[in-house]
Amino acid sequence: MEDIATIGKVVAQAGLLVLLGPLLTGFIQKLKARLQCRQGASLWQPYRDLAKLLRKGTVQSDSASPFFRAVPVLVLAATVTTTVMLPVLWAPSRATLLPLGDAILLLALLALARFLCAIGALDAGGAFGGMGASREMTVGLLVEPAMMMAVFSVAVAGGTTDLVHLAARRGTLPALSWQAPDLLALFAMLVLALAETGRIPVDNPDTHLELTMLHEGMLLEHSGPGLACIVLATHTKQIVILTLLAALFFPLGLAEGSAPIEIALAGAAFLAKLFALAIFLGLVESSYAKLRFFRLPQFLGLGLVCAFLALALRIL
Amino acid sequence: MAVHKPLLRGAVWLGHLLILAGASAGATLALRVLIGGEGTLYLALPRLFPFAEMSLSLDGLSAFFLLVVALVTAAAALYGPSYLGAHAKAPLVQTFALAVFVACMAGVCCAGDGLTFLLAWEGMTLASYVLVVSDTRSDDNTRAGLLYLVMAHAGTAALLVVFLTLAERGHGFDFVAFRTAARSLHGSTRTALFILALVGFGAKAGVVPLHVWLPKAHPAAPSHASALMSGVMLKVALYGIFRLGFDILAPAAGPLPASWGWTVLIVGTVSAVIGVLLALQQHDLKRLLAFHSVENVGIILIGAGLAMLLSRGRGAEPLATLALAAALLHTLNHAAFKGLLFLGAGSVISRTGVRNMEELGGLARRMPWTTWLFLLGAVAISALPPLNGFVSEWMTFQALLLGGAKLGGASGMLAGVAASMLALTGGLAAACFAKAFGVTFLGRPRSVHAEQASESPAPMIAGMLLLVGACVALGLVPGYAMPLLDGPTQELLGGLGPSAVVTARGPLVLSGNGAASGLEATSISVTAVAALLALLAAVAWALRGWPRRAPRRLAPTWTCGMLPSSRFDYTATAFAKPLRLIFAAVYRPRRAITKETGPSPYVIRRLGYTGEVVDLAETMLYTRLKRWITATAQGIRAYSTGRIQGYIAFVLVTLVVALWFFARA
Repeated sequence: MEDIATIGKVVAQAGLLVLLGPLLTGFIQKLKARLQCRQGASLWQPYRDLAKLLRKGTVQSDSASPFFRAVPVLVLAATVTTTVMLPVLWAPSRATLLPLGDAILLLALLALARFLCAIGALDAGGAFGGMGASREMTVGLLVEPAMMMAVFSVAVAGGTTDLVHLAARRGTLPALSWQAPDLLALFAMLVLALAETGRIPVDNPDTHLELTMLHEGMLLEHSGPGLACIVLATHTKQIVILTLLAALFFPLGLAEGSAPIEIALAGAAFLAKLFALAIFLGLVESSYAKLRFFRLPQFLGLGLVCAFLALALRIL
Repeated sequence: MAVHKPLLRGAVWLGHLLILAGASAGATLALRVLIGGEGTLYLALPRLFPFAEMSLSLDGLSAFFLLVVALVTAAAALYGPSYLGAHAKAPLVQTFALAVFVACMAGVCCAGDGLTFLLAWEGMTLASYVLVVSDTRSDDNTRAGLLYLVMAHAGTAALLVVFLTLAERGHGFDFVAFRTAARSLHGSTRTALFILALVGFGAKAGVVPLHVWLPKAHPAAPSHASALMSGVMLKVALYGIFRLGFDILAPAAGPLPASWGWTVLIVGTVSAVIGVLLALQQHDLKRLLAFHSVENVGIILIGAGLAMLLSRGRGAEPLATLALAAALLHTLNHAAFKGLLFLGAGSVISRTGVRNMEELGGLARRMPWTTWLFLLGAVAISALPPLNGFVSEWMTFQALLLGGAKLGGASGMLAGVAASMLALTGGLAAACFAKAFGVTFLGRPRSVHAEQASESPAPMIAGMLLLVGACVALGLVPGYAMPLLDGPTQELLGGLGPSAVVTARGPLVLSGNGAASGLEATSISVTAVAALLALLAAVAWALRGWPRRAPRRLAPTWTCGMLPSSRFDYTATAFAKPLRLIFAAVYRPRRAITKETGPSPYVIRRLGYTGEVVDLAETMLYTRLKRWITATAQGIRAYSTGRIQGYIAFVLVTLVVALWFFARA
């Protein structure tokens, strides 16, 4: 019975993340518009875009293989699967019957989504897709290890890579109390989150100039419902990354049981954390210029070094 | 000749079927030892030499590696006849060499004494040399074969020293005598012997910097032989490291020396990163795969080195078991997916005759089976869920993290560095296979050969399917493979087996054990996640089809208004260019652009581009070594006058020095 309740909670959390994803994007877009003294589109615009894309027809490249149609679906599935591994509202300290996954699996699934997306981009046989794929994989391989190191720096202290356990025990386990390495790891994660969510100074989500695009470059040949799947996956990935950050460093207010007041508090805490991180993304995006692609290794190297130092300090 | 053709084909088929039968027998035997609980099987061989008994013995570790050999051999035997029939020049010789090669690999794994081991080891080297040089007669191949032979024999020389030292002290060649001899060894002698063994086996396993022969020799053989060389022969060398490091040379009691663990961990980490970095810049499909073998051997050694650091009496037995289980599982996993990828590459090569991926492309529509099987192999080798590569890397990560926290200090830091490098390796491998798969199979065909390709015959597909089955099974339900690892890990480390540590919560849940106080072990269920992934994909597929009203139509890819052609496809060189610039310190890229202009400098008739990256080990180490050897030889030449008296004087002096030296001892 309790296991069924746990599964129910996990599904509810996952659903919440997927549903809130577009709203988060809408909020950041609105914030950016306000900072540029524009009115900006409505908060709900991303939902409208998705609904519209789902109703449209598909134009597919005639040189693409049959696999091309499966790419958006698989990318979406891999991204959404990661949502069940995060503590959003609940963080039960007891192990569940069927543990689904940990931080390593979460990052690996995101890597799977990226890999499939890159393959899809190469499939259409256009230079833009190939360029996008090449660049995205390059950025990905710089971001992924750094992100893993940042996660490891917390996991080493906690003795587990399970995000739910880490979040639940953060308050009680002395080894997991806030220390200097956390500060470094947090800084690293903030740098990497910019890259992972495809924001300035790494990528520009608003551009339509092919040569400046990373992630968008890979999506050029997708259209209609397929594009909707990938766009939804992008929204979901963004909220997953921010939730991961919150779960690692600010696991405050997570509910232990299922009393309504507890859940309401957890929900408010979650929204507050998301709000703060979204403002961070919006502010950085509005106040920096996009970096030239070959300057990126230096920028991401900052995250890499901080994450490594955090890990080293934790082990020593 | 035409008359003999059916006869020849029959002979080739017969040979491969015999190999297949042998592989099934080997697998049965191995499984009987591993899960049948038969204990160690022993077989005395007829006495060939007056000074030594020869024997075969099959304990858990041997049986596990025999299983690895048998798995890929079975796939290669199914695949081989059609592949050789398509284009081989000497199919009979190659079939025979393949049989000898496989038998010798099995012999190395099952050897019960040093002499049998070395004889089988040499047989393995020579048979694979025949396979390397017999496929195509080109200068490159001959040179690759020669380099292979030199490196392999330098390695064997190091092994010979180890084995003869042990044989001399133990008064016998069998491993029991070796163990007794090793027990009385002095600490530094023990370490010296281990390092020699590591060099000897490492030269065969292709660890950096002894890997230079590997990417030249492996691709030269017929593809199913390449699959065996990369997928299995390297593992046989690793078997040697496991056998000597954990078993024969290990101290009778107490932990293994920390210096061993450090060495193996560092060598493994360096091999993993350098291997995959070099693989990224290859355009020859088989060469790229060969470099990935260097990477994966590195990953296996990371697990082994960590197990050495954590082993016996350091209070971290479950973690050592986890690390060793990860290394062994990755051994099996790598055999499966690397075998698969080489067979897939072979399938492409046999249908197009092209190895350079820049000239391929568009094969997904022409060779659908090969394409999708290769894609599964690519996902597996990139350590992406839900296939088997991820499972063993997850276990390695858990062991590194928990072990690093447990070890603390410098050793812990080393584990942390290894974990970071392993994470980098995963990202690089994914980029590499996005390139390899995308450029080879997707887009438009970039040459006539690729355009006229057609699917390979059924036996070749069957060989690949066998290995894909292994990859998927080991990825989705890895818990059921854990009992296979119980025998070897318990023999090498004692204590609980992986099935009690990793699958403590049932076969569907994997746990990384040894967590800090008050916490439960990290557990994941790959099976459940894969099911969830499939369910979500089904839902997304349905959702995508549901509200659609407008039809789907096909249109050419947008190429800025120009006529689309295969020239618009991104090439492998271009794909890897950002990494070439970011890691320029490692690659030292060179490029030359030649421009041929017409009467005016603004009219360009022709543009030529050549670019290359270097393997630092080759330029920094081997070129210098070669120069030094040449210079020394030139120097010695001055004394080689051709007069017999002079040579007699040399012999006499050597004799006196030797007598003086050894008489003192």
